Amino acid sequence: MVVTVTARGPARAEPGLWALFAAGGTVAAFLMPVHAAILGIAYAAGWLPADALAYDRILDLARAPLVKAYLAVLLVPPLFHWAHRFRFILRHQAGIHRARRAVAVACYGTALIGTGVAIALIVRI
Amino acid sequence: MTAPPRTGGLLPPMPRTWWLRSAAYRRFAARELTSVFVLAFTVVMLLFLLALSRGPRAYGRFLGWLGSAGAMALFAAILAAGLYHTLTWFRLSAQVQVVRVRGRVVPRGAVAATLTAAWLAVSAGVAYVHVWW
Amino acid sequence: MAGGTIELRVTRYRPDRSPTPWVDTFRVPYDDDTVVLDALNHVKDEVDGTLTFRWSCRMGVCGSCGMMIGGEPRLSCGAFLRDLAPGPVTVEPLRHFPVLRDLVVDTDDFLEALREVRPWLIPRRDAADGDGEGRQTPAQVDAYRQFSMCINCMLCYAACPVYGQDRTFLGPAAIALAHRYDMDSRDGGRDVRRRILGRDEGVWECTFVGECSAVCPKGVDPAAAIQRSKVDLALRAWRVVWPAGAGR
Repeated sequence: MVVTVTARGPARAEPGLWALFAAGGTVAAFLMPVHAAILGIAYAAGWLPADALAYDRILDLARAPLVKAYLAVLLVPPLFHWAHRFRFILRHQAGIHRARRAVAVACYGTALIGTGVAIALIVRI
Repeated sequence: MTAPPRTGGLLPPMPRTWWLRSAAYRRFAARELTSVFVLAFTVVMLLFLLALSRGPRAYGRFLGWLGSAGAMALFAAILAAGLYHTLTWFRLSAQVQVVRVRGRVVPRGAVAATLTAAWLAVSAGVAYVHVWW
Repeated sequence: MAGGTIELRVTRYRPDRSPTPWVDTFRVPYDDDTVVLDALNHVKDEVDGTLTFRWSCRMGVCGSCGMMIGGEPRLSCGAFLRDLAPGPVTVEPLRHFPVLRDLVVDTDDFLEALREVRPWLIPRRDAADGDGEGRQTPAQVDAYRQFSMCINCMLCYAACPVYGQDRTFLGPAAIALAHRYDMDSRDGGRDVRRRILGRDEGVWECTFVGECSAVCPKGVDPAAAIQRSKVDLALRAWRVVWPAGAGR
């Protein structure tokens, strides 16, 4: 087993991926509940002022440069938070120990695609 | 990857359902599963932006969907998972990060409480801009 | 005052006799002061001399009597029967290690992991040679003190589902001890240990289940040591992009 330990070698990508995971976890911890509460609960329950989610108002808001930067922070790091945790859910909870590289590529690849979509939408609005 | 022991001792493989074995393991599994709702949240927010970028009609359809029972159930799950993620994340952060004030180590409970207070303030700020700005 | 008798259900394994383990039931006397280790010694002395288990100090220092008691990894010298009454009390060998005989497990993998992380002082290059004393302030001692309390009892390995699935993982105690020396102001070996902790099967395999810290009988927090090592390694990697952003 010790032989295997030496053979696997250094993990070049892990520190960066873990840093993204940690950043995304922090962003999601601070920001996800309030957005879910506003869009998913308060709006549907009718607790918001009538024009709170009006098209023109939200469009103006979303076009502000600061809000665009905020949206990038809100949407991108949490994707890598999910990718990291889901990779280890597959390994440790689902017990899929084979094809580690393929699983990692699938998880972080999904996060990268999400990042592309998010950036495109934020820029275009 | 349970490697065969060198000395030939008895080592049964760990059962795949190990995470059901104790309350602590179940809490851990629940904590990790919140990440799936983080992904769901991100996807829904991307759809929100997509609808916004497509004009008032698409946006109106999205708002109509927000009022549906299915959307409410999804958001209730996202909110529940989000709150669990937030509180566990702060507890774990306080365990990892040693905070010193004037050379003294701040107790973990105080660090987690400070993070929670900061989270409430940030949430109020976001809600203000989102709804009343 | 508790007392009377209690039932022990002890998992037995004798490869020379049977390829599969079985459970033996013993009824043993106990009072307020009896711990599971005392009960096992009673069985060995009075009932069945073939029962095999490790122990030495009887006082939570040597770290050799760890086993699964009531499904939890515990030191049998610290598990009072009065707290486990009315029983029955299950006693099994430490989880995640190959069982050699009865309650005795093979610890070679852990000892190898321990050797690998260099758990000893590697003097700093700038240390004055031969001045004898390695003076430290109380704050410098506090930085590593709790991690130095580890007694290598391996309860944290039995609590770790990651080690249970991948025995190439360095594991909680080995990383906690690496961190103990990394945090020591007299030590200059952090770069050496970074190369070991930074491998896939070093700190990165850990998912912060946290049970290692929960079961530690000495109050060590291996989970924190592992995450702090991750932060250190992530900051080091970040230094490529932003040189100011890394610690010592």
